[in-house]
Amino acid sequence: MKCKLCSRETRSESKYCELHDKAYANVVGKFEAWKKASGASWEEYLNELVKNPFTGVWAKEVAEHLLKKE
Amino acid sequence: MERYTLIVTEKPDAAQRIAEALDLRGKPKKVEEKKVPYFMANRDQPLVVVPALGHLYTVVHERGGRNYYPVFNFRWAPRHLAEKGAKQIRTWIEVFSRLATNATGFIDACDYDIEGSLIGYSILKYACENKDGVAKRMKYSTLTKAELEKAYEEPLPKLDFALIEAGKTRHEVDWLYGVNISRALTIAANRWSGKYATLSTGRVQGPTLKFLVARERAIHTFVPTPYWSLLTQVEIQGKTYEVEYEKKVIEKKTEADTVTEACKGKTGKIEKIEEKKFQLSPPIPFDLGALQSEAYGLFGYTPRRTGDIAERLYLEALISYPRTSSQKLPPAINYKAILNGLSRNRDYSPLTFELLQMKELKPREGAKEDPAHPAVYPTGNLPERVLDESERRIWDLVVRRFMAVFGDAALKQSMKATINIDGHHFYLRGRRILKEGWMRFYKPYVRSEEVTLPPIREGETVQLKQMTREDKFTKPPPRYNPSSLLKRMEEESIGTKATRADIIETLYNRKYITEERIVVTDLGFDIIEVLRRSAPNVISVKLTRQLEQRMDKIQNNSDKRENVLSEAVNQLKPVLEELKQSESAIGEALSNAIKRARMQERIVGNCPSCGTGKLMILYSRRTKKRFIGCTNFFKNACKTSFPLPQRGTVKPMGRPCKGCGWPMIFVRLKGRRPWMLCFNPGCPAKEERRKRLEMQAVQQRNQK
Repeated sequence: MKCKLCSRETRSESKYCELHDKAYANVVGKFEAWKKASGASWEEYLNELVKNPFTGVWAKEVAEHLLKKE
Repeated sequence: MERYTLIVTEKPDAAQRIAEALDLRGKPKKVEEKKVPYFMANRDQPLVVVPALGHLYTVVHERGGRNYYPVFNFRWAPRHLAEKGAKQIRTWIEVFSRLATNATGFIDACDYDIEGSLIGYSILKYACENKDGVAKRMKYSTLTKAELEKAYEEPLPKLDFALIEAGKTRHEVDWLYGVNISRALTIAANRWSGKYATLSTGRVQGPTLKFLVARERAIHTFVPTPYWSLLTQVEIQGKTYEVEYEKKVIEKKTEADTVTEACKGKTGKIEKIEEKKFQLSPPIPFDLGALQSEAYGLFGYTPRRTGDIAERLYLEALISYPRTSSQKLPPAINYKAILNGLSRNRDYSPLTFELLQMKELKPREGAKEDPAHPAVYPTGNLPERVLDESERRIWDLVVRRFMAVFGDAALKQSMKATINIDGHHFYLRGRRILKEGWMRFYKPYVRSEEVTLPPIREGETVQLKQMTREDKFTKPPPRYNPSSLLKRMEEESIGTKATRADIIETLYNRKYITEERIVVTDLGFDIIEVLRRSAPNVISVKLTRQLEQRMDKIQNNSDKRENVLSEAVNQLKPVLEELKQSESAIGEALSNAIKRARMQERIVGNCPSCGTGKLMILYSRRTKKRFIGCTNFFKNACKTSFPLPQRGTVKPMGRPCKGCGWPMIFVRLKGRRPWMLCFNPGCPAKEERRKRLEMQAVQQRNQK
C-alpha cells in the first residue's frame, strides 16, 4: 500500500511510510509536553505545528493530514 | 649520455624544487621531452629528477567491459588504459622507461605517505622494470633546501614496503567496493528505465551519506517543544545591563508569567559576587583536519579548498607536509631556526623576538601521532612571490598557530553577581583577560569576547528596568557543513586524511547533497534507502571502520594484504547476490529518484503570477523550443510563460534578481562568457540598463 502522504510504500499496519510514521510518532509523542507547557488543545497544537518554522517537513505534512481528518 | 641516478618525484613543482636544492649551483637544467618536463642536476654525481603526475598506474578490471558484475579480478595498469581523459600518461610512462635504461641508481623522492609511496613504487616497478628492489627512499617533511639535502645524503636504504602494501590494498579494496556496488545500482536503474545514468557509491562514500541522511531524517521529523525565557535588564549606576534568570529554560508559560508579574516595578539587591580565575592553555599544533576546520570557521573555506591551498604552500616550501594526522612538533624541526626565519617578516618580528627570548621553547602538543610527518608548521621561509589572499591567510594562520603553541597559558577572570528580585535570582556575568599569554601570538584568530562589569559591591541596590517574556521553541539538530562532516568522519575513523575532503566533494558532484549547510537530495535519500534494504553492510560504519583498521595493520606489518582482500570479497559476494535478486525493485526506486532529481534541477523558483505553482524550464513538443512555464499550466490554472535563449545551456541560479526579486537563470554558450539572466520583462534593473546604454549612445553621438 502507498503512504497517505507520499508515493513510498507503507509499513505493515500503518497508513504511513517509514519516514512519515516516524514523524507521526513524534507529533503524537510531543503533544503531552505541549499540553503541560501551554495548555494547548490537540487541534491548537496541530495548527501551531503547521505554522511553526522549526517543525520538520514530514512532521508538518502529518500535522496537516491529521487536521484535515479532524 | 652519461650515467646518472634517476630521482622519481610526485609532481612537476616538487621535481623543480628538489632539483634546485640538490644541484650544486642551484640551477638545474630543465629538459622537455614529448611535453614531459624533467631536470638535470649535478651533485656528487649527475642526477635526473623526473616528476610524475600523481598516480600513473591504477587498478583495472582484468577482463574489461562495463555492463556486468560481480568483478573480482583486477590488475595494476597504466592510467590511460582505464581513464578517458588520461592520454598524456602514456608519454609520461614512456619518458620514465627511457630514462630508466641509462640510470645506474634509483631514488624515490615522492611525498612520504601512503599515496606518495605507492606512486613512486608503481613507477619504479612497472615503468622502470622492477627497480623497486634496488631503489632508495628520500624521506622529508618540507621542501626546504636543508631538509632535501639531508634526505638525499641520508636516504632510507629501501622503499617502505609495508606502507606500499597498505596503499595497494586501500586502492584495491576501494576499487572492489566502488566498481561492484556502483555497477549494480547503475545497471538496475538502466535496465528498469532504459536510460543511462551513472550512480556511484564507495566504501567510505556510503557510510558518509548515511550520516547525512540520518541527520536529514531527524530534521524532517522534528517536532519543536515550546519553552520560555525572561529577557531582563537592570540599571546599575545609571547604566543598563542585561541579566539572566536563574532558569535558562522555563517549561511552563504560567511560570514565566508569574515571575514577570512578581518582579514588576521591584528593586533588587546584589546578594553575592563571585570571581573565578582560570587558565587557558595554548592551542595544539595543526593536523590537516584541525587546519581545515579552523579555516572553515574563520574564512569559510571548504576542507578541499584549504587542502589545496596548503598543498601549494608546501610545494613552495612555506609550510611542512600538510597531509598529516600528527599533533606533535619534535625539536628536530629546529624551532629557533624557524622563528629566526619568520622574524624577517615585519609583522612577525616582535612576536618571534619575544619567543626567542624565552628560556626554553616547548610546544604544547596534542595526543595524535603520525609515523611519517610532524604536525603542520611553517618552514621559516618567506614567500618568493606575492601570495593571493587565500594563500596569505592560510600561511598566516599556520605561522600564528605555530607561534601560539609556544606561548604561556592565558589567564582569564570570570565574575558572577547574583541579584535577588523578590526572591527570584538573576545573574550578571562579566569576563576579562588578565594575561594574554599565547593569545598575543594567535591574534586576530582568537575568539574571545570581554564583558566588563561596573565596580559593584554586595548589598548594593539595583533597579529593574525591563522584563519581557520570550516565547521560544526547541530547534532541530543543525545541518552538517563540509567542515563538521569532515570532523564526524574523523571521529568515526572512516576514510583517510588525504581522501575525506574529496569524498565530500564527490557527494556534491553526484548530486546526492546540495548547499553549504548540507541538504540531502531525494536521490541521496533513495540511494541510502536501497542500500539499507538490500546491502546494509555496505553502509555500515562499524564494518567500514574495521576494514580501515585492518588496512592500518598492514602498514604496521601485523596483517597481510591477501587476508584483507579476501575478507572484502567475502563481504561483497552476498551483498551483490542480494542486489541482483532485487534488481527490478531497486531499478524502479532509483529510476524514480533520478527522474525526480532531474525535474528538480529544472525548477527555477516560485511563480510570481499565481503564487502556488513553480516556474520550470520546459520544452514545447510542438515547436521543440524551450521556455519557462508554470507547473500550474498542466492544471489549467496559470498560463505564465517566458521565452529563453535557444542556444547553449541554461540552469536555474538558485538566487533572486537584485532588481526585482524574481528567480534568475545562468546561460552558458560556447565561446562566450557565461551570463546571468533575469527573465522578468519588467525588471527595473533592465530598464535602468537600457536607459544607461541610451545615454552612453547619446553622449558618444554628441562627442562625434
